[in-house]
Amino acid sequence: MTPIHVRTGSAAHRGLQIAGLAAAAGALLLGATMEAFRVGQLTNVMIFAIAISGLNLATGYTGLLSIGHSAFFGLGAYTTGVMVVTYGAAPMTTIPLAVLLCAVLGFVVGLPALRIRGLYLALVTLAVGVAFPEVVRRFEDLTGGAAGLVIRSRQLAPPEWTGLTVPQRGIWLYWVSAAALLITLVLVRNLTRSRLGIAMIATRDNEIAAAASGVRLATVKTTVFGLSGAVTGLAGSLFAMYVGALSPDGSFTLLKSIELITGLFLGGAATLFGPVVGAFAVVYLPYFTADLASGHVSGVIFGAVLIAIVFLMPEGIAGVAGRFLGRFIRIAPHENQGERP
Amino acid sequence: MQMVRTTGTDRPALTVTDVTLRFGGVAALDGVGFTVAPGEICGLIGPNGAGKTTLFNCVTRIYRPDSGGVSFGDTDLARVRPHDVVRLGIARTFQNLALFPSLTVLQNTVAGAHARHQAGFAAALLGWPGTRSRQRRIEGEAMDILAELDLTDVAHRPAHGLPYGTLKRVELARALAARPRLLLLDEPAGGLTHAEVRDLGDLILRLRRDHDLGALLVEHHMGLVMSISDHVVAMEFGRKIADGTPDEVRAERRVIEAYLGKAS
Repeated sequence: MTPIHVRTGSAAHRGLQIAGLAAAAGALLLGATMEAFRVGQLTNVMIFAIAISGLNLATGYTGLLSIGHSAFFGLGAYTTGVMVVTYGAAPMTTIPLAVLLCAVLGFVVGLPALRIRGLYLALVTLAVGVAFPEVVRRFEDLTGGAAGLVIRSRQLAPPEWTGLTVPQRGIWLYWVSAAALLITLVLVRNLTRSRLGIAMIATRDNEIAAAASGVRLATVKTTVFGLSGAVTGLAGSLFAMYVGALSPDGSFTLLKSIELITGLFLGGAATLFGPVVGAFAVVYLPYFTADLASGHVSGVIFGAVLIAIVFLMPEGIAGVAGRFLGRFIRIAPHENQGERP
Repeated sequence: MQMVRTTGTDRPALTVTDVTLRFGGVAALDGVGFTVAPGEICGLIGPNGAGKTTLFNCVTRIYRPDSGGVSFGDTDLARVRPHDVVRLGIARTFQNLALFPSLTVLQNTVAGAHARHQAGFAAALLGWPGTRSRQRRIEGEAMDILAELDLTDVAHRPAHGLPYGTLKRVELARALAARPRLLLLDEPAGGLTHAEVRDLGDLILRLRRDHDLGALLVEHHMGLVMSISDHVVAMEFGRKIADGTPDEVRAERRVIEAYLGKAS
């Protein structure tokens, strides 16, 4: 069959966009009515999607492979944890600080990217990822060290104006995560469509040509790493509220980094919705394979499914889905795009 | 960055003075000097390994000469960082294509205009109202350039997978988007068919006229160089062996020897 052609900016395109938003809103509302356990799972997926979106900026769009994003996730989580437990701050008010600290750490980690690239840069980020749990253990007074940091559920109560009670904090965090994910996706979309977004991809595709076109590689790389860290830190902050108990060996080791990278490439690197799809895959695939077999075999099946997806869909699930949809609806650039307004 | 910007009416000359560059013990460039006058098309010829591309890379600051200097107007290029060369009005193409394969032809061209626009990082992130219309305007200018180079049909196609000759023109479009005063073309005819080479010569002359720019081209294709250049510089083993009009250079004994070998 021939695909339906839709031009960007046309009424049909607007309609499609609104339909997409309505479908997403419907899915969120439906998710909110599920049992508490499912709501928690979906919250986890959304937090993951934010974390992977952060990684996507550096690794997907700009080609700076980071194996250390678990450190940003952890720094965001511990900032919120420490602020709430030690200083009695309201959880939501800790988000800006967590994001800011992670942006600064991201900027600093991005500095070596000015001199080194590829696997060597990945090694630097690896070091950061390895160091993070050690640093948490070292500053025991603040972080609780190896014993962990427990946030009491009373401290995680939803703000009073919501009228929600402590036991309803799950649904509160569900909507907070949904809002944070929406904001993240809008920001990423704006950024990647901008002049800076083109500079990011240009840097990834060909550094020398990018510099010859006037792209300040140093600025692009450090800015992107800072932003990438900030977004993953936002996810970490929400994650602290979600789990309520932080330990250095729990969720902030290199395994978390690997999970984020896996999610990114499964979902589709350098795509807007890839991280969301990847987050679903990373959270639900293990359950799915555990249903097929038990014990160690399920781990093997999980690995096999991962390999199969990477082989069959090198552009990620979102990339393949986009191509599949392209058979039915093709969105062409606006007729006037490029002509003077 | 504070730098004297070259404006549209400013027409600086490119001056290469006594440039020497060694790789280990090998002198890739040995005391090379010449001038590309404003609006002039200058051809740089020489056998493989003569040091043409090395010289090119000195101009675009990929290499830094050991001694001697390159200046554009009053600006000493040794003091300019690589990404600022284009801000002075010097844009280049590459010998082996250096496009951004995952971007569309239009986006590649827009990337070439990167230096002409302000950052606006926060504005980009938040999608400020002005950002969209500014983006439209930049794309509009890029589309004009694509139309000029007969690339309108492929504007929205990714660069990846287009034919070689087309990609060569996309590189030219990207360079033009920077609104340069001087174009550096590294083997623009390399890999093109005979017909394409003839069109390329006409195209370069037309661009010079319409965009008021000069060009320095490194080229093996003698026919092309001799037919469009105002001025030809010949090199061999890192040294300049001839410098003059195409006819003068063609008649130079050392040039004939370099290309045909010494008569016994």
